[in-house]
Amino acid sequence: MAGIFIEKFKEGYDRAFNNQWPLWLGGILIGLLSILTFAWSRPWGVFGGIKVWGDWVFQSLGLYQGRVLSPVTSSSSILSFGLIFGAFGSALLSRQFSLRKSPKLELVKGLVGGSLMGVGASLAAGCNVGGFYIATSALSFSGLAMMIGLIIGAYIGLRYLLWEMEKFPAAPAPAASGGSKEGGIDWSKVQPWFGVAVFIAGIVIAIVYSQWAYTALGGLLLFGMAFGLVIQRARFCFVRAFRDPFMTGEGEAPRAVALSLIISMAGFIIIKYMGFRPEGMYVPPRFWIGGLSGGIIFGMGMVVAGGCGSGTLWRVGEGHLKLWAALLTFSLVGSLWSKFMDVTGLINYIGESLYMPNIMGYLWTFVLIVAVMIAYAWVATWNEETDKFTVF
Amino acid sequence: MVDDIKADETLDCRGLSCPMPILKTKKEIGKMAKGQILEIFSTDPGTGNDLPSFAKRGGHEYLGNKEDQGFVRYYIKKG
Repeated sequence: MAGIFIEKFKEGYDRAFNNQWPLWLGGILIGLLSILTFAWSRPWGVFGGIKVWGDWVFQSLGLYQGRVLSPVTSSSSILSFGLIFGAFGSALLSRQFSLRKSPKLELVKGLVGGSLMGVGASLAAGCNVGGFYIATSALSFSGLAMMIGLIIGAYIGLRYLLWEMEKFPAAPAPAASGGSKEGGIDWSKVQPWFGVAVFIAGIVIAIVYSQWAYTALGGLLLFGMAFGLVIQRARFCFVRAFRDPFMTGEGEAPRAVALSLIISMAGFIIIKYMGFRPEGMYVPPRFWIGGLSGGIIFGMGMVVAGGCGSGTLWRVGEGHLKLWAALLTFSLVGSLWSKFMDVTGLINYIGESLYMPNIMGYLWTFVLIVAVMIAYAWVATWNEETDKFTVF
Repeated sequence: MVDDIKADETLDCRGLSCPMPILKTKKEIGKMAKGQILEIFSTDPGTGNDLPSFAKRGGHEYLGNKEDQGFVRYYIKKG
């Protein structure tokens, strides 16, 4: 009897953690998580936390006057940390964690890409998540402006990579030493146990936050970890949604992101329409210069770095050192550029807050966003056959 | 079966992360003759899914993979 139970458990574990989850499933789960997170307390975000970390560094160095948000108690920081931690735990459970070294050129691309993402996300008031996915879910016109920017930026970034590949056929880094049996320990057997420990730790931390009257934050930590796990298992990459049509002609990622966004937006529109959350929430003053220019710059950065906002944090959790480099500059440059825009007043010239229902009502807003997403998915699918946009 | 494969060319993509392994594979396979086999070393977990998709789209045959010390060897036959 117990034998059958163990058999079934092993099967389930195998399916969940030894196989990549389909992209469409990742998209659906992310869409649902996005709605639940918003309903719980506030929308999912990634750059916010990254910026808080950068702010905290400069604050500690005495560069910034005034107060900055705390990495320990600010919701954005908790969400971003949660993503890394959840992806880390998920990678361990899947025996995919490994400190992956990179050749020097790749590390430089990580640093440069991260910097561009820091600038772009500051301009757009968010990365692929906050500036595009959540902004559009929240019915902010700036989200669509960023979407156009991301398409343009991804194209430019890809052009650069192709040029670089011709000019600098780089020598790869030496293989990770020893493989899975370093130091006499068979890491492939041990990793899953650490993975379990990570998720238990997450629950414990959430309980501790609750004891200190920070229950909302505790929940956000768990939501962040859930995002990290889903994204890692499905290898859900927003960069692919913008880059693949040009690079490989594949339309799978555009379709998955479009589906995911429609689900998330449907949930947000109900929540806002019912007055359960304020209409103005997450409708940043970035239409259209901030959204568009931010999207272009962020798009270039994410392709060069090999990860967007969520993608960078996920891969940090998986052990890709190039993305650690990207995260470093993403947070430091992101913090500095945001501060610069603030101090110089530049921030006042990059757009207004444009809530789509104020212009066209809730019904047409829903129709328009769905139409844009379906159109995007449809063109990407058409491109799969015709390769009209495929560059390479 | 994967053990018996004799590769005509080898592409070392260890340490490279997405999208470099696929970009380099596409470029390398473009230089090869039909029927030739390309062996790719990669440390990126995504390669395992990207490569079969790429093969299918490009009309090539994905032959399989073999785990090695700290990386994976992938085999693809130009179609």
